[in-house]
Amino acid sequence: MATSTAAIPVGATRTHRPILWWYTTLVALMAWGLAAWIYELHYGLASTGMRDVVSWGMYIFTFAFFIGLSAGGLIMASSAEVFGIKSLQPLSRLGVLSAAACVTVAALMIIPDLGRPARILNIFIHPNWSSPLVWDILIISLYFAFSVVDLYVLQRHAAEPARWRTTLRVLAYVGLPAAILLHSVTAWIFGLQIARTWWNTSLMAPLFVVSAILSGTALVTLLALAAERFGRVELAADTRKWLRGFIVVSLLVDLFFVAADYITVLWGNVPADRSALNLVLPGGPWSWLFWAEWIVGGAVPLALLLVPALKRMRGSLGLAAFLVIVGVLVFRIELVVIGFINPLTQYPPGNAVGTYNPATTSFQLIGRYHPTWVEYGIVVGLVALFATIVTVGYQRLHVMEPPRTNASQHAEPSGASLAAADEERTS
Amino acid sequence: MAAKKTYLPRHVMVVDTNRCVGCWTCAVACKEINNEPLGFWWNRILTTAPNQSTTAKAPASDNIDVPWGTYPNLELAYLPVACQHCNDAPCVKVCPVQATFRRDDGTVLIDYDRCIGCRYCMAACPYGVRIFNWGDSSYAPGGVVGYGKEYRTGGRLVFTPARPKGVVEKCTFCVERIDAGELPFCVESCPLGARVFGDLNDPDSEVSQLVNVGGAEQLHPELGTDPNVYYLPVAKRVPGES
Repeated sequence: MATSTAAIPVGATRTHRPILWWYTTLVALMAWGLAAWIYELHYGLASTGMRDVVSWGMYIFTFAFFIGLSAGGLIMASSAEVFGIKSLQPLSRLGVLSAAACVTVAALMIIPDLGRPARILNIFIHPNWSSPLVWDILIISLYFAFSVVDLYVLQRHAAEPARWRTTLRVLAYVGLPAAILLHSVTAWIFGLQIARTWWNTSLMAPLFVVSAILSGTALVTLLALAAERFGRVELAADTRKWLRGFIVVSLLVDLFFVAADYITVLWGNVPADRSALNLVLPGGPWSWLFWAEWIVGGAVPLALLLVPALKRMRGSLGLAAFLVIVGVLVFRIELVVIGFINPLTQYPPGNAVGTYNPATTSFQLIGRYHPTWVEYGIVVGLVALFATIVTVGYQRLHVMEPPRTNASQHAEPSGASLAAADEERTS
Repeated sequence: MAAKKTYLPRHVMVVDTNRCVGCWTCAVACKEINNEPLGFWWNRILTTAPNQSTTAKAPASDNIDVPWGTYPNLELAYLPVACQHCNDAPCVKVCPVQATFRRDDGTVLIDYDRCIGCRYCMAACPYGVRIFNWGDSSYAPGGVVGYGKEYRTGGRLVFTPARPKGVVEKCTFCVERIDAGELPFCVESCPLGARVFGDLNDPDSEVSQLVNVGGAEQLHPELGTDPNVYYLPVAKRVPGES
């Protein structure tokens, strides 16, 4: 899992020490995640905060979150090609690298959520084709394979543009629908379920696609800004403009979809639908989700990206991208947790808790969910894995370098192995 | 029940909520025969307002026996809920490994040997009747009670007294008993005879009468899951009458 620090090409001595610290931290976090997983394997899922009422938790919303993040890179790289957006082409390889890393993390996130991880191959031995989960695992595998191939072709194209031009174009035309399919199928895991009105909306797939484009673009923006800060690349003003535009448009569409859903529920006033929405709306017990989604992840980034005075401020694009990612994470939390917390049959005394606790009732109607250190540990470990893949990829593949000529192709570029720091936020 | 049938039976349960007094005998009997771990209830007696068996209402409380309304205008009826054994079961549709399956007699079962513990079925079930073995289960003192053996149907392990960690479980319609020509234990144990079990494909059976002419209803029929458990709703009384 970890990359030994000895394998890192050492560039200027000055940058040697920070990168060592960065890798040490990542390895420590991954080891912590692994330890948490071993603990969970031993004690079972009882060591998590999930119980019968809220039976999916942090693993599933982080899974959906990372699936979303993986979109941005591939959609950006593909649309740079398909729609001929020249200014975004320098970010193509970084984007596809981040897509591959995100989809890897998302796929691994499923494993600690299983009660019987050793039986995971049953999905391939006895697949049930009516289950969206089977289709999702299939499309995740294909998407991973595709992003690796795409990254390879992009690397070759950077070296020999003329020879790999056609392949790249073909892949771009495949990549765009593949990314949209990945997010739709993941959305249908939730959206097709008649049991939970909070999930059961045809808007789910479009909402997933647009929030994936939103968070994925924001992630690539953060990575590119980090490369600019710690590496030796500079983003063109036009590239920033396109990134800003991508984020603004997808954020507006995302908020529009969410608002459309709210209005449908509020106007219709169906009790079961309302009881779910009331948990989230101002005044409800989970209203922090509402404020985080609309203010922190909505109004503030929009202001940062659109108000001229704020737009000119240094770091406004990075801050906006970060807040947008926070907003999308909050949307995933809201989707999963509220879906379970909203009472299902609407009759007391509700579900069995699944844990024997002599002091309290063994039934729960209103779900409660507090992730435990095991869940935080595994998620943080996998986020560290993402950071490791991106850092190693950045250093070894030189994904931000301008295309090199044949003469310098094999020469070690002097500044390329600078410390690549990726955003350290482990949200 | 004794005569050899030449057609496929469809097993159906009808619960007469007019007779139910909320004594929890069926729930305790179920817990015993199926050796359910501590904290597990395959069968639960929910409270509801009379005649509300198929209509959703805002929840009242986490506790049992809480009536509806504001004092002194209170209403209370009981609704025993276990697996509804749907003919178009969302759990069967979402299970990625076909561990949850519907037998030809309409019984929905779980293969303990195949379940991967993804809990998608728990997310998909509209009735919230599925229970997950989160960790090592603990049992009431005295060891295994009730049906103490493994039971397989079609070669698949659908009951085991010692629950494996990390798999989902739920009501089996007492498959090991109905296959032997007996009644599910909740039906047999109900002191008020509120539960009726039988073959809906047999037009002369009591369940056929109750379903076809007796006005028995399914829970959440609007979802189209077509359960094999029916309820006779409480007859709503007109104020002033006894």
